Amino acid sequence: MGGYYWIASYPKSGNTWLRLALWSLAHDGAVPDLGDDRLNQVPICCSRMEFDNELAVDSSDLPHEQIAALRPRFYEAQAARSSEPLLRKVHDGWTLTPAGEPLFPPHVTLGTVYLVRDPRDIVPSLAHHAGITIDDQVASMERPAIILAGQAQGITMQLPQCLLNWSAHVASWLDAPGRPALVQRYEDLLGDPVAALTRIAAYLDLPATAALIDRAVASTRFDRLQAAEARTGFFERPRHASTFFRRGRAGGWRTSLTRDQVGRIEAMHGAMMARMGYL
Amino acid sequence: MLADQGLCGWRVRSEIVLPELHPWQGDPAAGVDLVIRLGAVPDRLDNPIHVGALLQIGEDGACRHEIEGVATFHLDAAARVITVHPALSATDPAIRAFLFGTTFSLLCYRRGLLPLHAACVRVDGQNGPGVIALAGPSGVGKSTLAAAFRRAGHQVLGDDIAVLRIADDGIVTVLPGLARIKLWGESLHGLDLPSDGLERVTSKLEKFILPLDDAGSDAPLRVRTVVHLGWVNDPRHGEWRTLRGMEAVMQMSGNIYRHRYLARISAPGDSVLARAARAAAGIEQHLRIRRVQDFAGLDDLVARLGGLDARAGV
Repeated sequence: MGGYYWIASYPKSGNTWLRLALWSLAHDGAVPDLGDDRLNQVPICCSRMEFDNELAVDSSDLPHEQIAALRPRFYEAQAARSSEPLLRKVHDGWTLTPAGEPLFPPHVTLGTVYLVRDPRDIVPSLAHHAGITIDDQVASMERPAIILAGQAQGITMQLPQCLLNWSAHVASWLDAPGRPALVQRYEDLLGDPVAALTRIAAYLDLPATAALIDRAVASTRFDRLQAAEARTGFFERPRHASTFFRRGRAGGWRTSLTRDQVGRIEAMHGAMMARMGYL
Repeated sequence: MLADQGLCGWRVRSEIVLPELHPWQGDPAAGVDLVIRLGAVPDRLDNPIHVGALLQIGEDGACRHEIEGVATFHLDAAARVITVHPALSATDPAIRAFLFGTTFSLLCYRRGLLPLHAACVRVDGQNGPGVIALAGPSGVGKSTLAAAFRRAGHQVLGDDIAVLRIADDGIVTVLPGLARIKLWGESLHGLDLPSDGLERVTSKLEKFILPLDDAGSDAPLRVRTVVHLGWVNDPRHGEWRTLRGMEAVMQMSGNIYRHRYLARISAPGDSVLARAARAAAGIEQHLRIRRVQDFAGLDDLVARLGGLDARAGV
């Protein structure tokens, strides 16, 4: 029986970069083609099609809470069919289902790589990604939880996901039972991507020589990804965002947020920001 | 007792009111092909070959499918009797939604038919009437596109599951199915269709049942084209191309309804992949269309597909 490595993060915290780097690692350091939707080394954990096929049910006819209650069964069934470790991208918080059991069952969890980023930098990035104002994004990150892909009037290819507010999201994964998560700060990943990818590959038990890590990092440099997106587009770019790979910088909040916006974020998330070394 | 109804050419006798089915119009002397009754369902099947969270499959071909809070369904080993044990009022539409989902597809597999995850529309071209199957996973827009065809004056033969029969000569027909389209509020709004008076699939979802008064009662029609639908966010990634050979077979196989477990109860003889290959070969045209999902482009898509001469290809 296989099990899962969860590549978990709040949105816009480096998850996509890491998934592309892991793809490159698995393909001898190749440059990823951003226009190819089969570029799916780390699929999302909540694919509606996978869920429906695994459980033989139409999730589109189920209410959200019933889908959430069945997700542990989905993961158990998928793990039971697999002999290899499964890598899955996650934006949900580590939460309990309506029935009170872990959404991500510990007995099929091999480990978690948790990517964390300064929320002051997430705000402008996510506002751009979601096509909303910075003030609305700050407010969104203050709400206890929001549901991603949970439109009441229709469905998407992903199941509804419960995104806790930034502080609670980080806490939920860091305090989850089982093998402690490998916490990777986005800022450190930018500063020394070779060291970060080496550490992550070791945690995931992936065979990777230093030369291969170097090639994968070179193939997924931010400016390369930006240029590739300009050339071919990126399959995961949301329709209302002009680009997916926007800046890829740390500390951009100093010029893109007002003092009031910074104050609101720090007031709300200060304790966890301090725990993560951002204050 | 309720009047008998027709589904896939079978005479159906049901203890549950099924507005999705037409009255039986076949031979009044014909025997009943399928009984749908209310009753108790065992918790465990004898000698199961599969026990999943929701689905059990018995060695003898019997199946049990449970949707907590809605109903438990049991298909007997002979694939002639479906027993429904409701957790809701027996008239609740959620029961029909799941009855005509997984349980219905189990029945099709058991009867040697191929359930395709597709809506079907009738297009009358230069070469006579034919069917375009709009195939793809949930959420890709099959039902919305079918409703757009209906708005443009085409007959919709059913949504979600198209029951295909492959004749000995290789010709593929779709059997008359359910006379309804399930549409989300967003789609009704985008298509300028009112939701007033429409029944919901379940009280907890903004998903409605649009009845099709003119569908489902016809004889089987030949499937000339399968459109394998996909979506993109960036128009640069859009696609419209003809699939041939293994590409068509693999797309067809991927769109066979929930085949991962359900195929375990297929009639003996051949695998789902082999049957998908035969179906793909018996259908003249396979198109791969990937597009940005927007309502504005639907009418153009309908016009382009509706104008296809299936035999001439594209």
